[in-house]
Amino acid sequence: MTANMYRVGDYVYFETSSTFPYQIRRIEELNKTPSGNVEAKVMCFYRRRDLPSQLIQLADKHQCALDETNGSPKSDVSLCSDQLGPKQRHQMKHRELFLSRQVETLPATHIRGKCSVTLFNETEALSSYLNKDDMFFYCLVYDPTQKTLLADKGEIRVGSRYQCDIQQLLRDGESDGRELAETEALVWTPNHNLSDRQIDQVLVVSRSVGTFARALDCSSSVKQPSLHMSAAAASRDITLFHAMDTLHRHEYDLANAMCSLVPSSGPVLCRDEMEEWSASEANLFEEALDKYGKDFNDIRNDFLPWKTLKNIIEYYYMWKTTDRYVQQKRVKAVEAESKLKQVYIPNYNKPNSAALNNNKGVLNGNSNGTGADPAVALGTKACESCNVTSSTQWYAWALPHMQCRVCEQCWAYWKKYGGLKMPTRFGDSVDFDGSAKKRSGSDIEDDKGMGHRPHRCNIGGCAKEFKLKAHLGRHYATAHGIAVRAGSPRPVMKTRTAFYLLTTPLTRLSRRLCRHLMKPKHAARCPSYVINLQAVKQECAVQMANKTHEELQQLLLYCKRNRGSVTAIATRLGTLLPDAATPQWLLLTNKTLLPQPDVVAFPKPPKAPDGSLMYERVPNKPDADKIPVNNMSPSLKRRAYEEMNGIDSSCLNAPPAKRMSKEPMPISRHPVASSALPGTGPLAGNTALSSNADQYQMMMAAAVQAHTPAGLSGPMPRQVAQVNGKPKIAQMTRSGSGRKQVISWMDAPDDLYFKATEHSKKIRRQISSVELRRAARKPWRYFKTRLDEPPVVVLD
Amino acid sequence: MTTQPHSRKRVCYYYDSDIGNYYYGQGHPMKPHRIRMTHNLLLNYGLYRKMEIYRPHKATAEEMTKFHSDDYIRFLRSIRPDNMAEYNKQMQRFNVGEDCPVFDGLYEFCQLSAGGSVAAAVKLNKQASEICINWGGGLHHAKKSEASGFCYVNDIVLGILELLKYHQRVLYIDIDVHHGDGVEEAFYTTDRVMTVSFHKYGEYFPGTGDLRDIGAGKGKYYAVNIPLRDGMDDESYESIFVPIISKVMETFQPSAVVLQCGADSLTGDRLGCFNLTVKGHGKCVEFVKKYNLPFMMVGGGGYTIRNVSRAWTYETSVALGVDIANELPYNDYFEYFGPDFKLHISPSNMANQNTQEYLEKIKTRLFENLRMLPHAPGVQVQAIPEDAINEESDNDDKADKDERLPQKELDKRIVPDNEFSDSEDEGEGGRRDNRSYKNRKRPRLDKTTESKEEEKPKEEVKSEKSEESSKTSSDDTTTDTG
Ligand SMILES: [Zn+2]
Ligand SMILES: [Zn+2]
Ligand SMILES: [Zn+2]
Repeated sequence: MTANMYRVGDYVYFETSSTFPYQIRRIEELNKTPSGNVEAKVMCFYRRRDLPSQLIQLADKHQCALDETNGSPKSDVSLCSDQLGPKQRHQMKHRELFLSRQVETLPATHIRGKCSVTLFNETEALSSYLNKDDMFFYCLVYDPTQKTLLADKGEIRVGSRYQCDIQQLLRDGESDGRELAETEALVWTPNHNLSDRQIDQVLVVSRSVGTFARALDCSSSVKQPSLHMSAAAASRDITLFHAMDTLHRHEYDLANAMCSLVPSSGPVLCRDEMEEWSASEANLFEEALDKYGKDFNDIRNDFLPWKTLKNIIEYYYMWKTTDRYVQQKRVKAVEAESKLKQVYIPNYNKPNSAALNNNKGVLNGNSNGTGADPAVALGTKACESCNVTSSTQWYAWALPHMQCRVCEQCWAYWKKYGGLKMPTRFGDSVDFDGSAKKRSGSDIEDDKGMGHRPHRCNIGGCAKEFKLKAHLGRHYATAHGIAVRAGSPRPVMKTRTAFYLLTTPLTRLSRRLCRHLMKPKHAARCPSYVINLQAVKQECAVQMANKTHEELQQLLLYCKRNRGSVTAIATRLGTLLPDAATPQWLLLTNKTLLPQPDVVAFPKPPKAPDGSLMYERVPNKPDADKIPVNNMSPSLKRRAYEEMNGIDSSCLNAPPAKRMSKEPMPISRHPVASSALPGTGPLAGNTALSSNADQYQMMMAAAVQAHTPAGLSGPMPRQVAQVNGKPKIAQMTRSGSGRKQVISWMDAPDDLYFKATEHSKKIRRQISSVELRRAARKPWRYFKTRLDEPPVVVLD
Repeated sequence: MTTQPHSRKRVCYYYDSDIGNYYYGQGHPMKPHRIRMTHNLLLNYGLYRKMEIYRPHKATAEEMTKFHSDDYIRFLRSIRPDNMAEYNKQMQRFNVGEDCPVFDGLYEFCQLSAGGSVAAAVKLNKQASEICINWGGGLHHAKKSEASGFCYVNDIVLGILELLKYHQRVLYIDIDVHHGDGVEEAFYTTDRVMTVSFHKYGEYFPGTGDLRDIGAGKGKYYAVNIPLRDGMDDESYESIFVPIISKVMETFQPSAVVLQCGADSLTGDRLGCFNLTVKGHGKCVEFVKKYNLPFMMVGGGGYTIRNVSRAWTYETSVALGVDIANELPYNDYFEYFGPDFKLHISPSNMANQNTQEYLEKIKTRLFENLRMLPHAPGVQVQAIPEDAINEESDNDDKADKDERLPQKELDKRIVPDNEFSDSEDEGEGGRRDNRSYKNRKRPRLDKTTESKEEEKPKEEVKSEKSEESSKTSSDDTTTDTG
């Protein structure tokens, strides 16, 4: 199974032609296409036979140089190919590959097996490659477009610009000019008298204080409507770090440290970004993340300008621990399902087209095929490579008219290594196009060898030479303004180079002259619109022939069309002409004219005598549960005051009066008299609530008049809840009353569904009832099942 | 030279609570927040209370120019995202912009990272501690006047320079999956610092670290490079780490050690290609610690942040000589560590391309090189006369530059293990070009470019493969199959 399982990173043989040798590739990506096939994105390695002849010579030279270094007396292993026999030297050439940075996409079904390609290391004996099947090495990098071979090696530069001035050892008694006080500040030391247990106790205390502080804190109470949530929030690391700092600051004196947790201003409350952010900020952040990705600067500028960049970054990393993030990830995981980690390709058994038809299996010099079969002609020949005359299967090798055949082993060798086991009369680089590559006698490349070749600037007419590629890069940048990518630790595969479209005067001319063919405005809107370049070329040539040089010059000149400023245009478009009526499509359809549904899914409840809708009250929690949460008040003092006055504290979180106007008018059915006057006590300034229901109603009416432009406040469904006989307005931030409860999502887990699939059902059937019961009691326990194998894609 | 495995040491730990909130930018794999995640784990494991915790000072420009060039540091100090346009040329020169982007608080970030390592070195020099840890440091790619590989200021070089005030020989060990080229280059021609780097070599950033790179001039044989292939597992790693370090200790006899604990050599790292577990990685710390030398541990790479914080937490416990439970304690980032919520991780089933034979050969070759070292003089060295400094510049000429082949900036692509949370962003190339990226979002800018477009002699139409596609391919996407 593992032999046929191909993973990203594997080196593999690809068969793209039945008669040619395999191609050697490295899998970079496996992608499932919509049609269900698997495509492999691969990095190409070239064989010697794939190289142009001049480069083969260069490669030979490089190998000679390699031999020299290896022949040095120090080396215990001699690699010098002189020590190899001629046959080995011949075969060695089949094992050398040339890396390229070319990437192509091939169907994964063409994979024919695994091999291994390593960068040659001079400690190794070349023969170590020959002794193992499917082993290749490379030293040089081949660039098929530039037709160059380069060594894949960086350099450590030497010179005063690269090394540092070495620090002298100090003399006895000489000062290093360093004071510890200047280089560091102690934050914690293990040298104290506290036991581990005592430190743990301080941590628990600080968390308790934090929980209490949250109970007192108004905004926390909204976010964390339960004690558990408060306690969880108080257990975050920021509280613990603060406790440790406090201990240190108080010189590990327990009493002092604990006292400092509850200063006169109230218990200490430490909140990190996770807690600091409101639900709406969190939503803004997610929206921004969706829009901008992780460009936190832009997110900050356009969505959360009141946060610092550091706030946002800290928040981001914590946000990733929430189930909101997990959910997003799940969506993305579905999108990325097409990316595979591995693919299963069974052995390929289909007969090769070069196989000769010899159903008797063994040939003994007698032709046994039909007359038309090449096997007849080849029937008497020995293996072109190894000269054996018996083989279970023969293959036609090279052009049919050359009438060669090779035995099964030699065929397999040819497919894998791209040559014949033994040197033959055709030489190594025999090709099926009949033209065996000729070694060019003249060597165009300079004699110094690759490593010594200077880097030459190839910008027209410049031709400056540099010893180091880095210097050439700098030259490109400074003299010609061309950016050459510097060394990067990031994978080559990931880079997608930006490209530039450089217009020549001719292209610009053609744009002006062949506007009718190019339809630039149309093309701009439909990038997929195909421009017929041939036609453009023709038309352009015709048009140019009719024009003088001056006319063409004139055409090339850019004349800016004055359309006025954008603002002016916008203003013009925005203002309707005074006499023009509002166009029909901008008018709202009258409600009575709208089509009515046959069935009303959610009929309105009956109306009360006062015109309000009477909703059935659905309690979602016992009142006892609800009240303390609702009545969470900013401080105990204040709470006492309110309790005495029988006022619900909801207004503390009430939106400002302006927003109140959009809320329905409150209705009171049980007016309760109260001595408190509006505008007094902690509620001063919050005109929305008064204990006197009548007064309140009047004020609300006034508020509606004052803040609502006529016609805006349409009737809205009202929600009236009654708690202890007091009128109460339901608000967004409140829980209970059947209204949506807004809490920090960091604490609120999203709904979780378990959907049983065929697979999971199957797994369940495998589990014994004992195990099932145990699993129910210990849900964290990992379950190993036979079906747990990673998903596998099987291709034929 | 060794002692019992779990000796109690005085451990000093450097951390600034601001460090976690620096952000390299959208899609960038380097996430300083991992240092904060480590810190929170340390607290909840109860390791925090067993160490001396220090907030390091911010390294000054003067301190940083002990290694870096003045104009480079001046540039780092002045560049900000909002004035980048004015620094175009310098950004090219100092290789700032793409992998080493300009982000908010960049200079402060460098100050904190370098400040921690310098403070740690000073502490060791004063013999006020035996082990100093700065997870915010370890930025080993930074060069004298060039940012590289997410590193701007080389805190390690600054720390070692500080140590050299009191230590004749300092050993630097680098177990990041990438070659520690910045540190190696800085000390390439000196025999007072030996740099030993274990790294993936071949078609991989930064392209240096060949077995044959051994130092130059006086520093010849003082750079030790162990080029490795994909899939190094715990066993293989130990089989090469232990003998090499033993031999190095024996021949070089350092009086202080700096260990760069880059966690991108862990299995499943987003940019790495090794298969080490937290235990295997931590074994290196354990082994070096046994030598009882003044010991500085710094961070480094590590791009699957949950594993980075696991490793560094574990390594802190190793430094302290305390056993910690495999069950992770609850903390602010607990959900990152799902689904198992364990400290230790299992290796993947990736193939180990480093055969025993290969490692053996490498080892033999390195041993031969180490034999070339003059046997470490046991004598304390006297102060060197002032004029001795000139020797350095002489070496410049001797070093055979021509032997060096052009640098390739290549890398290998490793598919992230698609995990719970931290592999995030990046789509491939999501943030490749800052300018075009900004243009996309700021319609106001678009306007001006558009209207000017035809006036320009050349017009540029810049295109990036759709951000959308890069975004989808990016985020942690696939669910854990484990
Ligand atoms: Zn044969
Ligand atoms: Zn030029
Ligand atoms: Zn690294």
